[in-house]
Amino acid sequence: MNKFFAVVKREYVQRVRTRFFVVATILGPLVSIGFTVVPALMIGLKTGAPPRIAIVDQTGNMYERVASEISDNEERPQTATPTMTPPGAAGARERAQQTAKMVKPDYALERVDLNGRTLDEVKASLDRRVASRDLDAYLILPPNLLNGGEPEYHARNTADMITKEQLQRSISQAVRSQRLVENGIDERRLDELSKPIHLKARGVGGEESKGEVGFFLVFGAAMLIYMSVLLYGQVVLGAVIEEKETRIAEILFSSMRSFPLMMGKLIGVSLVALTQLGIWAVTFVAVSAWAAGISSSIPHISPFIFIYFAVFFLMGFFIYATVYAVVGSMVTTTQEGGQLAMPVVLFLVAALFVSFNIIRSPNSPLAFWASMFPFFAPITMLVRVVTETPPLWQILLSLGIGIATAVGLIWLASRIYRVGMLMTGKKATLPEVWRWVRQE
Amino acid sequence: MIDETKPTLILEHVTKRFGEFTAVNDLSVQVRPGRVFGLIGPNGAGKTTTIRMIVNITIPDSGRIELFGQPMETSLQDRIGYLPEERGLYRKMKVGEQLRFFAELKNLSGREADKRIDAWLKKLELSSWKDKRAKDLSKGMQQKVQFIASVIHEPDLLILDEPFSGLDPVSVDLMKETILEQKTSGKTIILSTHQMEIAEKLCDDICMINKSRKVFDGHLREVRRSFAQNVVALRTEGADGLLDDPELITNVRQNGDDTEVLLTADASPQILLKRLVDANVKITKFELVEPTLHDIFVAKVKESA
Repeated sequence: MNKFFAVVKREYVQRVRTRFFVVATILGPLVSIGFTVVPALMIGLKTGAPPRIAIVDQTGNMYERVASEISDNEERPQTATPTMTPPGAAGARERAQQTAKMVKPDYALERVDLNGRTLDEVKASLDRRVASRDLDAYLILPPNLLNGGEPEYHARNTADMITKEQLQRSISQAVRSQRLVENGIDERRLDELSKPIHLKARGVGGEESKGEVGFFLVFGAAMLIYMSVLLYGQVVLGAVIEEKETRIAEILFSSMRSFPLMMGKLIGVSLVALTQLGIWAVTFVAVSAWAAGISSSIPHISPFIFIYFAVFFLMGFFIYATVYAVVGSMVTTTQEGGQLAMPVVLFLVAALFVSFNIIRSPNSPLAFWASMFPFFAPITMLVRVVTETPPLWQILLSLGIGIATAVGLIWLASRIYRVGMLMTGKKATLPEVWRWVRQE
Repeated sequence: MIDETKPTLILEHVTKRFGEFTAVNDLSVQVRPGRVFGLIGPNGAGKTTTIRMIVNITIPDSGRIELFGQPMETSLQDRIGYLPEERGLYRKMKVGEQLRFFAELKNLSGREADKRIDAWLKKLELSSWKDKRAKDLSKGMQQKVQFIASVIHEPDLLILDEPFSGLDPVSVDLMKETILEQKTSGKTIILSTHQMEIAEKLCDDICMINKSRKVFDGHLREVRRSFAQNVVALRTEGADGLLDDPELITNVRQNGDDTEVLLTADASPQILLKRLVDANVKITKFELVEPTLHDIFVAKVKESA
């Protein structure tokens, strides 16, 4: 046992102390902030003076409404689109819409009347102003705007989706209000009457459903396992190969058996991973609490789910990390190891796809078997737990199979490693590895 | 305590195969306590495989190994110090921490290890390198560190596989001295090497193996005596014709300035000397040569073939 701890300690201390670890721990959150926050900030950046837009109102009475809708950019309840767009499904158009809602640019508006001129004359003069950068864009509201006439938008920069979206929405809003008024309907009363309902989903036990939050939790778990396996799988691989490359293996085997050695290495590297993830998690929670106030940023989820989350994350991490250990025991360089381990990581992706199916029928035979298969279980069982919690024995069985798989893989790795070390220097073929495993 | 009367290590009919290849074939050997035991043979003879079975890295296919009076098992590993031929250090780890880690793997407490590490580093003139990373050390220095790793837990049995390869002459002497000190302090030492000259100087007992089989073993001095060939080293002027007599001389070879003459079994050095004197040959050197391990090895291999 002392020897096992000596190995764990060495793997942990030597890695945590490196400059690489410190830099990665600090840079990790910065990079992820860079990928999420910065683009949003950049879109929202004020690009100098507000766009100057002239509005040619041919209806004679719509300018006020349109102008106030444009400058008063606030959402009206009945027009609120669903706030949660499924990730990835949002096209460029929808994203522009969302951003337009998020960003509140100011506009410098200007009313232009025909004053006896023809529309073409006005257009020509406005075109000149746009060309001479006296104006950025102009809108033409046709006389039959309320009856389906299409407004026109002329701008120097027609690629500016955000402004276009905003104007379109504002005009629709104004037209809608005007139509209501003209039909004698009280706008405020209509607002009240058309207030949407919120479908409150409850489980049969009466507790509030955690379905939606649960889905993001599962998705988060999958991403977390995937990221950490990608990040630390290589480290595990390197740790296993290290003694082969440095030829220390023989000294180690003259002092201890290979199973505790392998196990110690895996635990040591995993602790490094968990240290780093822990630092990141604490930072994340602290930052989001500071940014939004903790009560509003963290949805109310039962603590049991967090425990399941932690347990299945750990299981997933260990199962996949041991795969890297097995691969490391067979190869002589990290590069070839990485290539060999890659296909196995694809199981994680497969598990995610299977879980879309499981969300809809969490107690189907497919769901059951998928949550017993150790390479899927970390994700699929978690899906079942948050959707329709299966009987405890199933959860425990799934965990048991997972742990047994991880331990079995470590045993396999230590076996291959020990025999392979004695055949120094060459890369093993699969039949050879099989013989090593059976050989005493 | 080491029992002076019982062998430290017993190998009985030990055989190890790798697939079709037999690495060690029916090897029986005993290593007595407090002595330097030389395991000698050319590269690929099976020395390293034998040692790996002694330190319990591999297990024999058949035969029996007994260490300190017990059948081989994992817990006995802590009483063995092993310097493998394939040796290395963690490149990025500091020398002191590295030694501490290896000591912990032998169940030595950290505090005790630290004390001994300082003493050993001082002894092998490495004190100023304690906080340096292994990769910054020269090969010779690394080898000294590896040696310390093998003795830090004061093992009862010390196994050194080619301990002198890659060392400069000064370090070789320092290492020889240190090995003999270990012997004096009561340790049993197994020295595996293909360098016969070194084995000759350090070993009390030897076992020669070739092509996975034992050629012979025994007390080095007795082996030599039993193998006393009639070899004479000569430095003469004008003796050329005299050395052609097949009744007297079986072989003549040049060894530096010396002419080494192997006499027939019936002949004696006296007869040769008399002939030389009678022929008025000018003699500047006439010396009876003890057979070297190399000679013995070559002869024995021929004999057993």
